Amino acid sequence: MAHVSIPSYWKTLPQRYCLIGMKCKNCGTINFPAREICISCKQKSEFEPKKLSGRGKIYSYTVIAAGSAPPEFSEQEKLAGSFPVAIVELEEGLRICAQITDYEEEDLKIEAEVEAVFRKIYEEDKVIRYGLKFRPVKKRKSLP
Amino acid sequence: MTLQKVAIIGVGQTRFGNIIDKKAEELFAEAFLEAVNDVDKGIDISEIQEVYIGNSGVGGGQLGNFSSLMTDYVGLTGASALRIENACASSGFAMRAAILAVSSGVCDVALAGGEEKMNDTPRNRVRYWLGISGDMEWERLSGMTFAGVFALMAIRHMHEYGTKREHLAMVSVKNHKNGASNPKAHLQRETTLERALASPMIAYPLTLFDCCPISDGASAVIVCKADLAKKYTDTPVYVAGHGGSTDRLSVFQRDDVTSINSSVVAAKRAYKMASVKPEDIDVAEVHDCFTIAEIIAYEDLGFCPKGKGGKLLEEGQTEIGGKIPVNPSGGLKSKGHPVGATGTGQIYEIVNQLRGSVEKKNRQVSGAEIGLTHNTGGSGGTTVVHILKR
Repeated sequence: MAHVSIPSYWKTLPQRYCLIGMKCKNCGTINFPAREICISCKQKSEFEPKKLSGRGKIYSYTVIAAGSAPPEFSEQEKLAGSFPVAIVELEEGLRICAQITDYEEEDLKIEAEVEAVFRKIYEEDKVIRYGLKFRPVKKRKSLP
Repeated sequence: MTLQKVAIIGVGQTRFGNIIDKKAEELFAEAFLEAVNDVDKGIDISEIQEVYIGNSGVGGGQLGNFSSLMTDYVGLTGASALRIENACASSGFAMRAAILAVSSGVCDVALAGGEEKMNDTPRNRVRYWLGISGDMEWERLSGMTFAGVFALMAIRHMHEYGTKREHLAMVSVKNHKNGASNPKAHLQRETTLERALASPMIAYPLTLFDCCPISDGASAVIVCKADLAKKYTDTPVYVAGHGGSTDRLSVFQRDDVTSINSSVVAAKRAYKMASVKPEDIDVAEVHDCFTIAEIIAYEDLGFCPKGKGGKLLEEGQTEIGGKIPVNPSGGLKSKGHPVGATGTGQIYEIVNQLRGSVEKKNRQVSGAEIGLTHNTGGSGGTTVVHILKR
């Protein structure tokens, strides 16, 4: 079952691995994922790469219940049962859709601070697809 | 160029459900023959010059030349035919295409319909297929499902407007109550608020009773130039307005996830063409693929102010007998959702409501003169709205 082909996936690796957005030279809007026609000014523009911080807040979320995940995520479903997916609003103002990982139930709320981490997304055609998930930013206890 | 006014002269629909004993073309033939027989003064099917059939292609049965398979089987060979795919809004857009064909003057009589067979496909394949009418590259590759995308809308709607899980369940209870008296509905049984809330979680906060079933079915609508309508029937229903629109495919890139902009724009266009306001609508069939979608539709279609969808439900205004009855058929939730057949299935219901010919009187909205249908593709990437008048 090929969903997003390996060449298509490779084409988006800078975004998937390094959170590189494309800044429109016409209006300044960061397009993520990359586009040819700017999402905001709708012009065929020039774009320059812009590394995003990977820090943001949960804008909305859900928990995909065990038994209802897409078939290509059935391995994760077997291991983890349910898993959360969120729309994260990054510091730079744009939004991105990704899984939340390394979380406790109370971390799942709108406005909760999260940061991007590199993770295995799923495996297809014996090729592991890596990408970004987000984890809660925990307030670290200061050492005594 | 003067646009021709368009009338609906015949409608047909199979029962929606798990229909194992009929193939795709047999389902379509059943709906088509019912629509032909519904033209009370009779019609020679060779008069149908243009055919538009909605089909999403779940399972991928006949994807190429689908329209030839259908027209061939029902004796329409020779007519120009087209398969229309806009996910769950496929046959809503097929309806609009048939209207445009007649109103442009290209033909006198056209057929719109839809067909989908979802239950004879392996479960995993259906699950694969269902998720790919949204954004593939980012949403789906986050492990997202269709229920999940609507859950994102629900959580945000709850956050911004205080909507509660109980409001979602109220949509389910209302639509199951209506569907329980619809002999063509998939799930002909009532439910309770407690049962809906306690049913298994699918994508938090949506439970099984917030999700429409996976159905088979077909529907068909015959339209003609309005000035020819009385030749075919004494009870034509007129197309007063229609509008289609698109939104960004991926929900995460929309400015506001508590509204579906394609619905707002499509409705605005339809209201303008029909010269009516939301408060003039007597009955509506809206796209409740998930319960939150019905609440958002109330707001996008202007039945209540933004954020007040839950309150409209609390007041019972969208029940039969309320100010604006919504989904008297049971909606997608109870009547069922054979993806490609849903849009013209909504037209079937509204035409019967406006004629006063609903088979069970407890489901009939009395005295309805203006009706609306609202059919959304995927998570709102496409939407089409029709306004019909007696």
